[in-house]
Amino acid sequence: MAQKTGGQLEETALIRAAQGGDRAAFEQLVRAYDQSVLRLAMNLLRSPEDAQDVYQEAFLRVYRNLDKFRFDCSFHTWLYRIVTNLCLDHMRKRKVRKEEPTIVATAEGPLDRMDAVPEERVDGDPQRYLFSGELRKRVKEVLAELTPRERMVFELRHYQGLRLRRIGEILGTTEEAAKNCLFRATQKMRAALGDFV
Amino acid sequence: MSNEINCAATKDFFGLYLYGELSFDEEERVESHLDACVDCRKALERQREVQMALDNIAIEPAPSLLRSCREDLHYRLVEEEAGGHSSAKRGWWEQFTDALTGRSGSGWMRPAGALTLVALGFGISRLPFSIGNSGGPFQAGIMEPSSRVRYVEPASDGRIQIVLDETRQRVVSGALDNPKFRGYLLSAAKDPSDPGLRAESVEILNSSTQFADVRDALVFALLHDQNAGVRLKVMQGLTPFAQQPEVRSAMTQVLLTDTNPGMRKQAIDLLTKSLNQDNPAMSFDRQVIGAMQELMQRESNAYVRQRCKTALESVKASTETY
Repeated sequence: MAQKTGGQLEETALIRAAQGGDRAAFEQLVRAYDQSVLRLAMNLLRSPEDAQDVYQEAFLRVYRNLDKFRFDCSFHTWLYRIVTNLCLDHMRKRKVRKEEPTIVATAEGPLDRMDAVPEERVDGDPQRYLFSGELRKRVKEVLAELTPRERMVFELRHYQGLRLRRIGEILGTTEEAAKNCLFRATQKMRAALGDFV
Repeated sequence: MSNEINCAATKDFFGLYLYGELSFDEEERVESHLDACVDCRKALERQREVQMALDNIAIEPAPSLLRSCREDLHYRLVEEEAGGHSSAKRGWWEQFTDALTGRSGSGWMRPAGALTLVALGFGISRLPFSIGNSGGPFQAGIMEPSSRVRYVEPASDGRIQIVLDETRQRVVSGALDNPKFRGYLLSAAKDPSDPGLRAESVEILNSSTQFADVRDALVFALLHDQNAGVRLKVMQGLTPFAQQPEVRSAMTQVLLTDTNPGMRKQAIDLLTKSLNQDNPAMSFDRQVIGAMQELMQRESNAYVRQRCKTALESVKASTETY
């Protein structure tokens, strides 16, 4: 059996304490992961309100079911299974409703949330600025066209930096299926961003 | 062999290739083709640039959103616990208080609670003070305040024998590499009743930050000590560790939440001091950048605002927040 690192031992102790009813230990555990959970939800759902809903629901589910966690997989994998399922549910509902989640109504009229995201400074280079703006628009469009699973795999691989093996574990599928999903996603990206590539 | 796959097939693999997710054989075929095909090498570079550009559309949640999530979750957890929804076992204290107040459904806890109450009463009776006793023999200087009469009985020679329970002060000395000895200081650094004691303890602990428990205690004090003087001392002790993730995270919290402008100045100085001039983008993680962007919207101190602005500009980050 592989030796556990100090961090893993500390996490195991926190989980056991939380399973024993120590709420402070649970909240400490939450803080070890909640930033990346919120980032994942925010980037997938592009809505602070929906991301907050996923955050609350995910950690409450973890809290309610912590006694069922038997250390069969890492806590990270177990937590991400819950988070990704919740995000996939949100995304599928949106697909059904054919919502455009990034557009919100504001006092100044409709605003695209992604346009409010801080952009890389282009230091007055107008050509690069146009490239950056156009690229962003295309990326937004192609991301919206991916299926929820493709979107999820792409997000986990590109933005969360997880390996396909781990992504497969999280999504309850094989590494090969996750790879196919990522392949399709990157194909669509390439097709949509052809002018840039 | 370059003919094993053509240009179109090679380009199809670029995404997985750049993620390092191709099998050994697939990667071999792609690289063989790239060796022989200048166009595909150029296309790969362009694909690499596009993939790097994707990083720029990532949204980093505002620190205020994260804080709000944590606060909401905390209250939800408290509600859950009150409603008994937690699957986790209830803590011994909750079970004990339930037993005393009759909330507990488990019958065995009630006698246990009562027994513990008796034990507590016994223990308290042995403490060197009487609750509600203002003055008396202690104030008159007849008895040491750390003494208590345990029992009295007449002796055979007509004198009276008194048995005293006494709590004595004792002096311990040692070095901070002794965990037990260090524990005394860590405890003193958290004594809520005496900021002077905390400040002195922190000053000593600052010289032993090589121990993880000392650093943990300092980070805790940095975020929770009510006294700004103590927090400033803590800041000095943590300065050499400003690059460590947990310390940077604590400094970021200070920047966002500490009401003392002097503390915020120190925090921004420390966070920006380590700016890598050759590669500034590597200097800050997303949390620090997000915090500085948020601070730009609400910081009242001109110095802190200016330092944030300069730092954000140096890493080519927006001075606005999402």
